[in-house]
Amino acid sequence: MTKLQAKNIVKHYDHNGNSVLALDGITMNVEEGDFVCIVGPSGCGKSTFLNIVAGLEKPDSGEILLNGKPISATGPDRTMVFQEGALFPWLKVIDNVEFGLKMAGIPKEERREISQRYLDMMQLTKFTDSYTYQLSTGMKQRVAIARALAMDPEILLMDEPFAALDSQTRDLLLVELQLIWERTKKTIIFVTHNISESVILGNRVMIFKNRPSKIKKEVIIDYKRPRLAEDTNLQKYYHEILEELKSEVMTGIRGESK
Amino acid sequence: MQVGQTLVNETANGSLLFGIATSMWRLVLGLAVAIVGGLVLGIFMAKIETANQTIGSLILGLQSIPSVAWVPLALLWFGPTDAGVIFVTVAGALFAVTINTHSGIKNIPPTYIAAGRNMGASGMKLVTNIIIPAAFPYLISGFKQGWAYAWRGVIAAEIIFSIAGLGFLLNLGKHDNNIAQVTGILIVIMMIGILVDGFVFKKIEKKVMSRWGLA
Ligand SMILES: Nc1ncnc2c1ncn2[C@@H]1O[C@H](COP(=O)(O)OP(=O)(O)OP(=O)(O)O)[C@@H](O)[C@H]1O
Ligand SMILES: [Mg+2]
Repeated sequence: MTKLQAKNIVKHYDHNGNSVLALDGITMNVEEGDFVCIVGPSGCGKSTFLNIVAGLEKPDSGEILLNGKPISATGPDRTMVFQEGALFPWLKVIDNVEFGLKMAGIPKEERREISQRYLDMMQLTKFTDSYTYQLSTGMKQRVAIARALAMDPEILLMDEPFAALDSQTRDLLLVELQLIWERTKKTIIFVTHNISESVILGNRVMIFKNRPSKIKKEVIIDYKRPRLAEDTNLQKYYHEILEELKSEVMTGIRGESK
Repeated sequence: MQVGQTLVNETANGSLLFGIATSMWRLVLGLAVAIVGGLVLGIFMAKIETANQTIGSLILGLQSIPSVAWVPLALLWFGPTDAGVIFVTVAGALFAVTINTHSGIKNIPPTYIAAGRNMGASGMKLVTNIIIPAAFPYLISGFKQGWAYAWRGVIAAEIIFSIAGLGFLLNLGKHDNNIAQVTGILIVIMMIGILVDGFVFKKIEKKVMSRWGLA
């Protein structure tokens, strides 16, 4: 079943009077249980696209359909894991994880049960009552993932969630995320500028062109899981994507220095 | 020595405690109104940019008015009554709270708001669950400033209106040429200031700072 459809999404921003076209007609279908990665040069509009899917921003034209129905605002069916710094420092870890459940009016006991489960899954049980400044960056991102999963969304939106991590922590989380995805059967849209990340995680990798952004190419990655960072069989996908991106990055840099 | 004796006497006949209680309830009520009003105004200013442009500079101007300068207006409007004292207290504190609330909200990282909305917080839920706690480090300094102005306002108004309270006792001391009483009351006013600062605000501040990992 098609979970999410993006239909010809166009979005521009005003930069001191200049109009900057960020997205120039993005169309994609995401099937239920799919794991879609989006890669593209910096500033091409990946976050913008994700924000539009989340309902945090409105497109100039085009629409997003969830289960066939157009979305108009944010909704607990689409939760986002932000790049970094989105945990609430005034709440304990457990209250961060329960935030969305609380907003949904779920009673405390039930909230506790759910949050314990995801804190467990993320191996954070010991830090239930910590405040966020007491956590490492990797632990914070695990809390952010637990917080998004706890809401049991139909789609999990992830905007470069591992960008700020050291490579060991990232490799661990890359495996963990694949296991979670297999266990929960969530539909995931994952934005990254890291090609190996996209190859390890995605069933499909969407390559965004430079601004104004369209989808340049879709690469299907049909390979067994869990995939490991050091698996050399993934190299060919890596190079395929790299070739596509190289030219984009070059035109991007030429465009910006003009 | 005489100061101590005077304070003991006034404590014994109840007039000191009555004075403290009177000033304190006016302070608490006035400050509460200023805090609620300042939060509402500050949130309103942050929400509506045009309101900010026009009201912003006006509020900055109003904030620069010393509490005691509101006394004549209070007398004209309310006469020498409790309401008059409380008006002075509120007017003195309101704008400091407003300004700090506004800048606190302006300084909230946009990701907190986006994350809150993403998880289903909107309208009043967004205000109480994200905006106020996220701006709290600023809010608390607004409350602290507000309290300082409010306390000055209460005492000033009581001295001029000459109706009950610590300010009134100061006036009485002056009237009776009683330096011991005047000094004694000044010490009491100072002690209350120290206690409120040290126990109420320092405590809250410390708690917030340690939660946020800023201490
Ligand atoms: N709120 C905004 N106001 C104005 N311009 C914006 C805004 N958000 C994004 N843009 C512009 O839109 C374009 C796309 O930005 P976006 O953040 O979506 O890129 P991105 O692909 O996520 O980049 P990165 O990989 O660096 O995160 C950029 O040119 C950016 O300057
Ligand atoms: Mg981005």
